[in-house]
Amino acid sequence: MTDNKNILIKKILEQSIYPVLPDQLIAMISAISLEHLRDLTEIRLRINQPLLLVLGNQDITVNPMGEVVVNYNEAYLCNQDDIQRTLQLMSKNSLYAFEHQLKMGFLTIDGGHRIGLTGQAIIDAGEVKTLKSINGLNIRLAREVKGCADQIIPYIITKEGQVLNTLIISPPRCGKTTILRDLIRQISMGSKIYKGLPVGVVDERSEIAACKSGISTVDLGIRTDVLDNCPKAMGMLMLIRSMSPAVVATDELGRAEDIHAVREALNAGVSVVTTVHGKDLSELLHRPYVGELLQNKYFHRYILLSDDPRVGTIKKIIDSSNNKILWEGAKKC
Amino acid sequence: MLKLIGSLLVLLVSSYIGFKMASRCQERPRQLRQIITCVGSLRSHIIYSCLPLHEAIANSTNGIYGPIAEFFQQVANLLEKNASLTPQEIIKKVLSEMEGSLILKRPEIEVLYVLGGNLGVMNCKEQEKYLSLVIEQLERFENEATRLRDLNTKMYRYLGICGGLAIVIILL
Repeated sequence: MTDNKNILIKKILEQSIYPVLPDQLIAMISAISLEHLRDLTEIRLRINQPLLLVLGNQDITVNPMGEVVVNYNEAYLCNQDDIQRTLQLMSKNSLYAFEHQLKMGFLTIDGGHRIGLTGQAIIDAGEVKTLKSINGLNIRLAREVKGCADQIIPYIITKEGQVLNTLIISPPRCGKTTILRDLIRQISMGSKIYKGLPVGVVDERSEIAACKSGISTVDLGIRTDVLDNCPKAMGMLMLIRSMSPAVVATDELGRAEDIHAVREALNAGVSVVTTVHGKDLSELLHRPYVGELLQNKYFHRYILLSDDPRVGTIKKIIDSSNNKILWEGAKKC
Repeated sequence: MLKLIGSLLVLLVSSYIGFKMASRCQERPRQLRQIITCVGSLRSHIIYSCLPLHEAIANSTNGIYGPIAEFFQQVANLLEKNASLTPQEIIKKVLSEMEGSLILKRPEIEVLYVLGGNLGVMNCKEQEKYLSLVIEQLERFENEATRLRDLNTKMYRYLGICGGLAIVIILL
């Protein structure tokens, strides 16, 4: 298991992360042992602040030689050039191609890894036009963990082979997208017990399918169609009209138009599997738009995730019709 | 006999020089037209397809052959292989490597150099505005180069032949 984790993180770093980092940062990170790095979930760069590597629930800093240090005064401080060079490498000198994403404060690089950005927002007509003077980057490592949704599948597929409308709820960094990805794969592939179904994925942030030039780089099953980099609301309706999916999957609902599109999909007889940021049901009920979906019981199943004890822990599976907890426990993903 | 061969050689060499200069004169507006075509195509690939810069530049040379296509292809290759270099650094490098085959004057080279400094750092709308401006500038250079071509091509040819004849007459 440890070996697998080491191999996986080595592969992710070498294939996706090092190509977008400046040489001195690569030298520092590659000097850290894989035993430390195997739980790496985020790399944080902030101007004039230490380079932070987030390993699950804790973070570490390193000195310029790549040695892990506790004292922040000894840690390597990121500078403007590190941020600029990283941004240049991530965007492949093509910021215009990420215009839409930049407005929302992130970029997605090859492999589906999302890079969060902070800086100065330029406002035009009350909307964020773009970000300038980028001062911080958060490189979030995406992992493809096949089988991490095994526990959920029996609760969201009926005996007749129909997929129940499912909402995955969790705070950030708890593995929502990883679990959603595996759910899509399993629904699409089918098994001895249930038949594989056509799944339409609207991947607004290119995280689920990690598309490269529009082609998925992760295994989403043989019956999956991906609409990459397309706004959720528009994409869901496009897929329903054009690809006749049995299930539509998308990530991170939030805006009014997303909720409208989910309603449209449900009324069209298509099952929806999606995710939302939130800690628990009671908190979500008071949120605009999403709360409405919960109050009207549009979803059949709620899957609650947490990062305790590890990222990807399935906390609860709830039946929305009677709020009965179908499963409770801690399964590591 | 020797004088005749010598005279013929002088005439051939001077004519060759004249024709060579005339062909350079003809080549410049052709290269400028090709650059305009590439930049126009690059603008489309950026605005409508949102392709990454190296892909957009590589695709912009479709249907174009010769030193200009080679220039854009080399820039695209270097951008793909070495994303840590800026487009301006790469254009500067390729311009100096291809100095001999590009028949461009300093202002035209400067336009290409400044183009590199503004590629990929703006949003689509601004990129479109900037590339349209570059095309306008290049078209002005092209018009001037075409005027010079019409004026000078014949002159260089005649000058080559007549100059050769004059040398032969003087030597004889």
